[in-house]
Amino acid sequence: MLSILASDFIKIRRKLIWFLIFLGPFGVVALQAVNFGLRYDYLTKVHEKDLWAGLIGEAGYLAIPALMLGLTLIASMISNIEHQTNAWKQLLALPVSKLRVFTGKFLLTALLLFVSSTFLLLGIIVLGFFLKFGADVPLLALLKMAYFPYLAAMPFIALQIWLSITMKNQAIPLVIGIVGTILSLMSFRFPDWMPWKWPSLTNGWNDPLYSVTFGLVCGLAIYLIGLLDFARKDVK
Amino acid sequence: MNELIIETNQLTKKFSKRYAVENIDLKIKKGEIYGFLGPNGAGKTTTIRMLLGLAKPTKGSIHIFGKDMKREKLNVLKRVGSLVEYPSYYGHLNAYENLDALRILLDAPKSRINEVLSIVRLSNEAKRPVKGFSLGMKQRLGIAAALLGNPELLILDEPTNGLDPSGILEIRELIKSMPKEHGITILVSSHLLSEMDQMATQVGIISKGKMIFQDSIEALRQRAQSKIAIKVDQTEQAWRMLLSKGRQAEMDNNQIYLPHTSDEEISTVIGDLVHDHFSVYRVQEEKKSLEDIFLELTGGEGSL
Ligand SMILES: Nc1ncnc2c1ncn2[C@@H]1O[C@H](COP(=O)(O)OP(=O)(O)OP(=O)(O)O)[C@@H](O)[C@H]1O
Ligand SMILES: [Mg+2]
Repeated sequence: MLSILASDFIKIRRKLIWFLIFLGPFGVVALQAVNFGLRYDYLTKVHEKDLWAGLIGEAGYLAIPALMLGLTLIASMISNIEHQTNAWKQLLALPVSKLRVFTGKFLLTALLLFVSSTFLLLGIIVLGFFLKFGADVPLLALLKMAYFPYLAAMPFIALQIWLSITMKNQAIPLVIGIVGTILSLMSFRFPDWMPWKWPSLTNGWNDPLYSVTFGLVCGLAIYLIGLLDFARKDVK
Repeated sequence: MNELIIETNQLTKKFSKRYAVENIDLKIKKGEIYGFLGPNGAGKTTTIRMLLGLAKPTKGSIHIFGKDMKREKLNVLKRVGSLVEYPSYYGHLNAYENLDALRILLDAPKSRINEVLSIVRLSNEAKRPVKGFSLGMKQRLGIAAALLGNPELLILDEPTNGLDPSGILEIRELIKSMPKEHGITILVSSHLLSEMDQMATQVGIISKGKMIFQDSIEALRQRAQSKIAIKVDQTEQAWRMLLSKGRQAEMDNNQIYLPHTSDEEISTVIGDLVHDHFSVYRVQEEKKSLEDIFLELTGGEGSL
């Protein structure tokens, strides 16, 4: 499994993917910097009781569409590296199972988004210090803001990887991903069982862990379905 | 030497209603260069995809190195190098990185990359992004990739596709040298018989999904034996006279044809004709080319 990841990491060298991984969290932090910069007095008044929590809340809200769009683009770009010259036939004629190839792409996407989430975490800490919110950094809340939506978005990572890998025409997975991003923005109206609501971590139990658990379980299920579909199909 | 490296049994692939490959029994012995021939759309690539486990057969079985592909696919693929249709590559990476990404999966040593690059004479281009390569260079990179894992069996689908004559020659020499130097068995497909004539030891000819010939290249050449054509003034009478003397003569195109025979035999026939006062205008040897045989076998729609 490590060898397939090592191989995949060579393939994304000098690709825009790395830039996106950085751009997503940077965009969220920069927008929050502008937000707080322009409305400093107002926002510090609203979040007077807990400035850090205010910043985390605002950033977390913006991070969801960035995450949804980012995973869509990254899954598509990673798959497209193989689609471009139909390298699937070369790759799968090597002694590697389809299981490892599919899992490798899924893990690569998940790993890159994890890196992205970590950048967000660091960026928000830096911004907080910059805004002079004090040294009393609420690490737990920051970790939840950075990684919980990411874990709750697993079904989408699995879905986008599945679609992007099995379809040569990337327009379809991209459209589905973008529609998903929009749905996630309006998800506060959705019932709890809808996956687009999970990254927002809001649910009837008022416990983000429910959203995370649903995400992980459903993500695993979609990964397995995608894997079976990929293994069943002839290589193009 | 009689060990079968590839053996398929009733190998069949059906796409919706159409058979792309039908009941193919490939038999390829160790150390052979097996030329897999057929016109466009005959089913060569489809067969090769099944051999490599890229496509599942509708019916039939494949054994490579005596192992069942269904059950031991990965063990078999460890010992196989392949190039299917046009070459695949990662355009943004240079040649070295391209091979490195594959090498890791083959568990081959890093030194092998430079070895295969020098075999296909790309050492000087190793650090250039592959998207700037010419088609011939990409094809050579594809062959380098096929050689990375030190394969015992090479499966090359139209490796000279799109190459110029010197490129074709180079690849051909490379292919010819492999069995001698490394004991590799090679399956190479092409739609040009003339190309195979100069390197294959065995040939399989496939047309419309069916195997129509499988034997040594000598056996194919046998079929290309020449005939003697004789042009005389009264063809029909002359032909009857020869038949009455028990000769295997044929009449076609207002000429008489005799199967290839010895010089003495021909001289006797001419003597008979002259003796019976036929005017002999021309006696000539007509040789069928391999290409003619190929066209005949594949029913006319043939190679270029
Ligand atoms: N995925 C597919 N779906 C449907 N039909 C297919 C598919 N792949 C191949 N075919 C059909 O199967 C037949 C054999 O195709 P194949 O590519 O094996 O021929 P080939 O001998 O390699 O030809 P060429 O010399 O042009 O490469 C063709 O009629 C082709 O249209
Ligand atoms: Mg073909």
